[in-house]
Amino acid sequence: MRKRVNTEFWMILPALVVLAAITVFPFIYTVRLSFMHYPMIQIRSPEFAGLENWIRMFQDPKVRFYWWVTLKYVVGALSCEMILGILIALLLNKIRALEDFFTTLTISPMFFAPVLVGLLGRFLLHDSYGVYAYFLHQVGLFKGGSIFGQGTSALLALIGLDIWEWTPLVIIIVLAGLKALPSEPFEAASIDGATGWNKLWYLTLPMLKPVIFVALIIRTMDVMRYFAKIFITTRGGPADATKIVSIAVYDQAFQAYRMGYAATLTLSMLVVTIILGILFVRFFFGQGE
Amino acid sequence: MKRLIVLIMSFLLIGVMVIPAFSMTEEEKWTQFRNKGIVLHFLTEDTPAAGAILKLLPEFEKRTGIKVEVTRTNVSDLVTKLMLELGAGSSEIDIIYNARWQILPAFSDVLVDVRKFQNDPTLPHLPLDDFFKAHLIATSFFVDKERQVAIPHDASTMIWFYRKDIFDKYRDKFMAEKGYDWTPGPNITWDQYYEIAKWINENVPEVKYGAGHMAKQWNSLYCDFSNVFWSFGARGFENPETESYGAIFPGRCMWDSPEAIEAAKFYKKLITEVAHPASIGWDWASLAEAFAKGDEIAMCFEWHDYMMMFGDPSRSKVVGKVAAALMPKGKDGRSHVYYSGAGLSINSYIPEIRQKAAWLFLVWQASIPVQKEIFKMGSTPVRKSTYEDPEVKQWIKEGRYPGAKIAPVMLEAWKEENLEYVEAKIPQFVETLIIQYTHLAYMLQGKETPEEAMKNIVKEVNEATGYTKLIKQKK
Repeated sequence: MRKRVNTEFWMILPALVVLAAITVFPFIYTVRLSFMHYPMIQIRSPEFAGLENWIRMFQDPKVRFYWWVTLKYVVGALSCEMILGILIALLLNKIRALEDFFTTLTISPMFFAPVLVGLLGRFLLHDSYGVYAYFLHQVGLFKGGSIFGQGTSALLALIGLDIWEWTPLVIIIVLAGLKALPSEPFEAASIDGATGWNKLWYLTLPMLKPVIFVALIIRTMDVMRYFAKIFITTRGGPADATKIVSIAVYDQAFQAYRMGYAATLTLSMLVVTIILGILFVRFFFGQGE
Repeated sequence: MKRLIVLIMSFLLIGVMVIPAFSMTEEEKWTQFRNKGIVLHFLTEDTPAAGAILKLLPEFEKRTGIKVEVTRTNVSDLVTKLMLELGAGSSEIDIIYNARWQILPAFSDVLVDVRKFQNDPTLPHLPLDDFFKAHLIATSFFVDKERQVAIPHDASTMIWFYRKDIFDKYRDKFMAEKGYDWTPGPNITWDQYYEIAKWINENVPEVKYGAGHMAKQWNSLYCDFSNVFWSFGARGFENPETESYGAIFPGRCMWDSPEAIEAAKFYKKLITEVAHPASIGWDWASLAEAFAKGDEIAMCFEWHDYMMMFGDPSRSKVVGKVAAALMPKGKDGRSHVYYSGAGLSINSYIPEIRQKAAWLFLVWQASIPVQKEIFKMGSTPVRKSTYEDPEVKQWIKEGRYPGAKIAPVMLEAWKEENLEYVEAKIPQFVETLIIQYTHLAYMLQGKETPEEAMKNIVKEVNEATGYTKLIKQKK
């Protein structure tokens, strides 16, 4: 028995080493960085900073503002993506003719690279030659202004781009869940005279709970560290209206050369994501499950 | 006797070592690294100068046997990549596009002092006095005036582009109404610029607005505001060296001076009242696209390299309709021109032989044939003698290439009395830049008054540069 355990251990060890190298070490290094002043420019050398970065983060009103923007962005994007994703998946599940064609068509946006989506958004919403901007101007919107030049419209445009790109992920996850649902409960419900709405509310959605949870948690993690599209389009402006925390991290690390402070902000993102994950687990499955 | 023999032997040894160096022909200096299998990596911003290099690079490779891999990217990515590479002590990149405001102050210690190659008899040399003095100081030195870490490579400069067809067509009408010639140039004041922009908004149907600006919350906003800031007599920092050779400690930030506040008030009025409303979402690329579209704006302040785009029929609807001029007149009666050139440097982490090979590349890229090619790419070269070349003189006379068309304006702009080194040459520049453009954006969005914006900038910049800490320590 002892020999068998040893063999298993040695077989797993390479994978553990690789895992440690690519995840655990960077994580520990990031934690270490968060307690240091680590400027990458020549006149300053790295030095231990204690809790200075953490105190600064909690005291900085700008960071609170970035979190507020992040919250608006996350709530806006996630709620729309989840609702639309579930609705479209239910619809696709009902379609019989050309099902594969419509499914492929619907999920295609998520195969675009985020940078490309950012460029596409910038192009389509460009005030001078953007097609979407043109139509908006035609109906009297943003006629004398800029979509990416005004705080609210810029944030809405970015949320829209995210919804366009990532709702398909929710669709594909929920659709897979729908296909895997057993037919017996639905047949029994039909015999008992349940309406379509009843079946959806009392059978489909409760049975899809784990699947919806997976979609929600994946999108939450992703949307929290959203970067490329904002970087390409607004870079956090105008007046920080679209500056979510990940953009602030970039600014601190690669513009201001403050690696220590950037690491602190990064870790705060990790903590918030974990907290959200725990909240979702409790919401979906109740405490203790 | 023994001493004499030792002395003679020493002289012989020195002779054996030194004489071949002096006896090397010019061609041997260029071909000495042939068959050594050297491949250099050159990381650069995507500029007309880089385009000229790429076009003629096979000639260099054929002559020297040195292969050069060129990576072109935008300036933000370039700085990030260089920061990571140089910060880690990497020898991955041999030749560095040295953005004078970001890389030079932050990493000058890890760049090779190129004077050692200038003094090396086995290598070809560059006539340094053939570069514009202003460019040389700005791009090649940081604090230490005896240590040259780059040679000038390009010279992005902010100039005033305008639609000549529109300005010609409405000149008399404007003059009749306002009583002065509105032709753009250093005779026009900023108030007149505002008036011209407003007049075009109301009287010229060919374009939607008179003026467009690059007021997006980014580097472009800082650049655009700086045009006004410097013209109004404001200065960035207490230490004047920040505007020439650079400084480790810039002293107090001066953005709350009465001149700075007046400039901020004027800028806000300009952007929010008369400029194209989309200006607050435009960076320099978007602004150039809007100008090139033809029906959006009649004038803008842009980097002179964009002449390439305006003269390209596949990207511009204003080909042949664009003229350029110096910036409007400042409060002191002269034009203040924003200069933001870059040099090329050699990474000190690479071995000596590669450094020498890189030097050959630096000398070659500054040679007259490559410099002349820059005209064709739509920009203007940085070596003075290029402009004395008979063929170039003819190009300028005929306005044959986009770069040649604006050459007279650039030569005027690069005079020392006109140039402003707006980007403070300090190690913390990028950090201060973010602070500045963020508060300027707040000001344009009405979240801060000009006074508040300037006051907040001073407070945060002083913290970033260490000035606040220094003052506290003194107390």
